[in-house]
Amino acid sequence: MIHFDNVTKVYKNQNRPALQHVNVAIEKGEFLFLVGPSGSGKSTFLRLILKEERPSQGHVHVAGKDLSRLSNWKVPHLRRRIGCVFQDFRLLPNKNVFENVAFALEVIGKPRRFIQKVVPEVIDLVGLEGKGHRMPDELSGGEQQRVAIARAFVNRPMILLADEPTGNIDPATSIGIMKVLDRINRTGTTVVMATHDAAIVDAFRKRVVELEDGRVVRDQSRGVYGQAY
Amino acid sequence: MRAQFVFQEIWIGLRRNLTMTISLVITVAIAMALFGTGLLIKAQVDKSQSFWNDKVEVSIFLCAKTSSNQNCARKDVSDPEKTELKKLLDGRPEVSKVVYEDRDTAYKRFQQRFASSPAFVSSTKVGDIPDSFRIRLKDPKEFEKVAEVVRGKPGVDAVVNEQDILKKFFGILDGLQWAALLIAFIQVVAAVLLVGNTVRLSAFNRRRETGIMRLVGASNLYIQMPFILEGAIAGLIGGMFAAVLLVGSKIYLIDQLRESVGFALELGWGSVFGIIIFSICVGVLLCAGASFLTLRRYLKV
Repeated sequence: MIHFDNVTKVYKNQNRPALQHVNVAIEKGEFLFLVGPSGSGKSTFLRLILKEERPSQGHVHVAGKDLSRLSNWKVPHLRRRIGCVFQDFRLLPNKNVFENVAFALEVIGKPRRFIQKVVPEVIDLVGLEGKGHRMPDELSGGEQQRVAIARAFVNRPMILLADEPTGNIDPATSIGIMKVLDRINRTGTTVVMATHDAAIVDAFRKRVVELEDGRVVRDQSRGVYGQAY
Repeated sequence: MRAQFVFQEIWIGLRRNLTMTISLVITVAIAMALFGTGLLIKAQVDKSQSFWNDKVEVSIFLCAKTSSNQNCARKDVSDPEKTELKKLLDGRPEVSKVVYEDRDTAYKRFQQRFASSPAFVSSTKVGDIPDSFRIRLKDPKEFEKVAEVVRGKPGVDAVVNEQDILKKFFGILDGLQWAALLIAFIQVVAAVLLVGNTVRLSAFNRRRETGIMRLVGASNLYIQMPFILEGAIAGLIGGMFAAVLLVGSKIYLIDQLRESVGFALELGWGSVFGIIIFSICVGVLLCAGASFLTLRRYLKV
């Protein structure tokens, strides 16, 4: 599903590479934790999958396609098949829950009837039954993150990328969020989650890829966060 | 693409930076009004010029006792001289029509033309305007050829080309036209910069939305369309104000000018509306184009 083939990324005006010779293969339906300290290259890893950045060296393949050969005008179509969740939720404050989720479908031109049918289903799936009319500032952090997940998943992507999704949420609520991500993973969606949260990684026992200074220092199936932290 | 969604976004965008939108509308209105006025003047000049080209005449004034020209030697032109000149003029290929006008007829025509200023008329008497041949040329530009042949011939006092007088009028109008177009151009520059600023503000205000749109895979067209249409709508509103100004400019500038200068032909409303529609289109395209160019810089897709 996602293949990093000897990928190195050096940002402009920076000497130190953000990623160095990274080789990772993620299969369809996998759940992968991407761990490592700040600045170790986790976000760069995710941005490369979205083609928000290009590798300085090497190739990134997503769904069998080499992203360096993907023309710019096709990038939106790539992103339609990848959902994204962030630490800061990125909801639109002037739209309610339903509208926030529907927005993702509206802007890719889906018909209204389809939206009316699909959005409530996804809102139920993430555990926000009956809260479609709430505004984001009326929701708790955990609930806001559920809205963000609903928005990322509403178009049924092949891949869900989550960049520190529990970073702003207390541990008890985080477990609820993880359950939602697990539920999504069970539908066959590949999930890549960058995180600092040792407790969650240890509890879930999924594949763990650890980055340090842009290098992959560990790739374990059923791994834990690691003793050093 | 869902029209309702796009228009909702545009409305939000225009309302959020209302002051910028207002200044943009005003600038576009003035720019397009001046641009259109320049075109109106040009249309009026073109129309009048072709009208006058058909009417313009060359007058060959013949000798009279009162003439100070040495060629005349203080004598009236004689009949053989007149016949000779008539024959000469009739033989020229450039000439399409020759009419002899004696001093009585000339005086009557003068009286009619300046009927509105009786003092001027009463200070003139029969004979002040001498006998003349009034010549219509096939092509007014060939005036010199004819003038050369006639000048200095016995009985000829002076050769006057009416076109020289008209040239002054058209010179003034040309000046007006270029002044209007120049100011319009400066305003257009201001409008383009304003569109750039408005779109930049708009893009900044909506960076959350556009960020999410990018993320969920909205096409570039979908992301840019509200901004471009925002510019285009501001341009359209500005253009409509310009249309009102242009109607005013037709009534209060062009028509007034035409009456005071004595243009014979009125510029029809048809061509005025043509110019108005053209100006609106230019305004809309200008704003949409400026938005598009700005977006390439400030909205990375």
